[in-house]
Amino acid sequence: MLFNSVIFITLFLPLGLMGWFLLQRLRNPFFAKLFVVGMSFWFYGYYNVYYLWILLASLAGNYLISLLLERRGSPWQRKAAAVCGILGNLGLLFYFKYFNFFLDNCNFFFHTDIRLEKIALPLGISFFTFQQLSFVAERYRGGAPHYSLIDYAFFVSFFPQLVAGPIVLHSELLPQLIGRENRRLSWENFYDGITLFILGLAKKVLLADSLAVLVNAEYGNIAALDTPTAWITIIWYMMELYFDFSGYCHMARGIARMFGFWLPENFDSPFRASSVREFWRRWHMTLSRFLSRYVYIPLGGNRKGKARQCLNLLAVFLVSGLWHGADWTFVLWGLMHGLAVVFETAFPKLRFPREWMNRLATAVFVTLSFSVFRSDSLETAGLLWNRLFTAGNRGMLLGVCNTLVFPENYAAIKFLSMRAPGLVNAFFLGCFLFLSAVGLGLICGQKAEDWIRRNGHTKAGAFCLATLFTWSFISLSQVSVFLYFNF
Amino acid sequence: MDEAEKKKALKRLLILTGAEMILIAFFVWLMDPFYQYHAPFFGMDAVLNDRDNQMPGTIRNFAYDSVLAGSSLAENFDSAFLDGTYGCSTLKVVRASGSVADLLYYLEMAQEERELRNVFWCLDIASVCAPTEVTLYGEDIPRYLHTDTILDDLPYLYNKEVLMEKIPVMLASAHEGINTGGQAYNWARNKQFGAQWAMRAYDRGSVTLQEPPVQRAYDHEAWLIASNVALLKEEVTSHPRTRYRFLIPPLSLLWWDCAYVNGELEMRIYALDQAVSALLTCENAEVYYFQNEESIVCNLDYYMDMVHYSPDINQYMLERMAAGENRVDEENWGQAVAGLRELTAYISEEAVYGYYGGD
Repeated sequence: MLFNSVIFITLFLPLGLMGWFLLQRLRNPFFAKLFVVGMSFWFYGYYNVYYLWILLASLAGNYLISLLLERRGSPWQRKAAAVCGILGNLGLLFYFKYFNFFLDNCNFFFHTDIRLEKIALPLGISFFTFQQLSFVAERYRGGAPHYSLIDYAFFVSFFPQLVAGPIVLHSELLPQLIGRENRRLSWENFYDGITLFILGLAKKVLLADSLAVLVNAEYGNIAALDTPTAWITIIWYMMELYFDFSGYCHMARGIARMFGFWLPENFDSPFRASSVREFWRRWHMTLSRFLSRYVYIPLGGNRKGKARQCLNLLAVFLVSGLWHGADWTFVLWGLMHGLAVVFETAFPKLRFPREWMNRLATAVFVTLSFSVFRSDSLETAGLLWNRLFTAGNRGMLLGVCNTLVFPENYAAIKFLSMRAPGLVNAFFLGCFLFLSAVGLGLICGQKAEDWIRRNGHTKAGAFCLATLFTWSFISLSQVSVFLYFNF
Repeated sequence: MDEAEKKKALKRLLILTGAEMILIAFFVWLMDPFYQYHAPFFGMDAVLNDRDNQMPGTIRNFAYDSVLAGSSLAENFDSAFLDGTYGCSTLKVVRASGSVADLLYYLEMAQEERELRNVFWCLDIASVCAPTEVTLYGEDIPRYLHTDTILDDLPYLYNKEVLMEKIPVMLASAHEGINTGGQAYNWARNKQFGAQWAMRAYDRGSVTLQEPPVQRAYDHEAWLIASNVALLKEEVTSHPRTRYRFLIPPLSLLWWDCAYVNGELEMRIYALDQAVSALLTCENAEVYYFQNEESIVCNLDYYMDMVHYSPDINQYMLERMAAGENRVDEENWGQAVAGLRELTAYISEEAVYGYYGGD
């Protein structure tokens, strides 16, 4: 199920909230937890029940490992259980996410022709697998207790964070679940949650989906782009991805807040970063945290000399690339970021003299690298880079702007087409400039929560929020999926 | 902000959101571009330009006693002419494919609403060979169009396209008089008719002629034809108080030549023969036949593609029907079929080369 769908907003969410808080009136919170776990399974299996079985199997397997670790065994038995858990999780991820990629590459490199049925990628498998991997690792280290089955199922399946994060640690969610604070409805939480949800919904539905119209059209037509339009395409894609994913995270955090839970932030104004290293402290922060804690530090981090540190960094970003997708484009994207961070680590003083120059250079690098991330293949990425730097200016800007047809401007386009056809192109250019300005303004502007804190309680702020909600809600007749669902 | 302030802010937000949602729903209900709830208010002309979305609503909520049914070939008929000639009030009931099953679904809806005096049916030959399943409701088609309950109407009442595209277009079309009155669903505006346009739809140069044309195994097609003909006959006989007037439209020489080179000619003629023969046995049915009009069929200047003719032809058909011309009966139908065979032979052997040159 999607957060940005009529059924979620009008049925699922109200039902979930009512059930959760009504059942909390019972002395035993078990039934409220069971209810939310059931709702989460409905949420996850809504489009494909088959995916639900995979989630259940993963959940049961990891719980069993936790149970084995709870029993007092010898150190090697504990180690064996933890290794089994880690290999099981990685195996599940490999089978569903990387097996097709592995087979294709075997066929390519070894000139074989092994053909098996393509394996469908279950929604959000990378997220819930990483979440449980961290739990197994913490259980082995002694950093996590053994929870009851219902608490553990709640931790893994809690629907706001199930399919696209943020990647929550057990130490963040479970103490909140077990504590008594969230058992009664808090208007403060409810207000914070609903406003955050509205801003996230608007980011996704009104901004990301509008930007996607141009991005999808031009990514399907790369060979015809000239240099200015190729740059516009990758800049718009960067904005689309940011609004799409950060919008989702706002919604996830907003929903969780309505239920009384606090989820970690995933974005902190990433385009204010003045280095690639800083960018990763601001973009998809929970993934960076996971990779730092469970890959970088175990590999030695910065404790074994500069050369080893650089190798570790490179390894972390290669893992990050592969986590995002089973394709060479993701590997290259990860490698680019890894090399950039290694460069910054090796030459920390090699910086531009002004802060804004460093920010701009970081933004340009990130935008260029994410153009590879969006490409279907390395050939497409190569073609796009060729367009970015060598295609010249063939005056295609207006043609690209003409893809921006939305219900919002439909009547104006029709009217101008009939009464003033000469102004139609200027109108499209105006739409392009307007959307670019809004996108860039929001990227560089204040954070959503700061805006809510300052303006949400005023009459004008409330009117803005109400209008954003209704505008987003009437846009749901054409829903699109979130870009991060497949990672 | 403390808890009390947030509670107040939340209340304000919910009230404003609720008010906006109610306003939007009320506005869509008032304008109702799909006519789901009512015919136009305030004496405004009904704008009919979105057949699949508007058809169920207009059948339920409009005032009419006759129906003009058919495919896109029927959309350019002036139903006001029928109203004037037959003293009735006619609603156009069209489906792009003209599928018999789909049109019968709509006709049954109409018959449930009221007793129809007349059904004018522009019977496309291809529709007699179409699948007999109703294709009007499925996963991709909004449910609310075909149900009476308002519980599933949220995607209609809260829909950006309805609000920002359909309603403005409806208001502008009503103001300009486009697709109103007898010109409902008329698509001829801004279309170009002529041999050069029609020939673009049929690339005869790429066709490999079969010598003689291969007649395919027709079992399945014959079954479809029999099923469609049975459905048609059942419709006519089960409503004896309704007068059915079937018009067989003139498809261009391109369509017939295409059927010839694809080895489908015999099946097309068979379909037509089966349908008309069956209808002619019904007391409350009349058939008006225009396929033998050689001056129309063989003149591509009347067409924009292989089948779609100009509104002049629609009007010609209505006037001939009103004058009682072009009517076929059980006695002269055999002659008409023989005439069609001669015409199709002339088309494939001679007339088509007038446009495409000799081999």
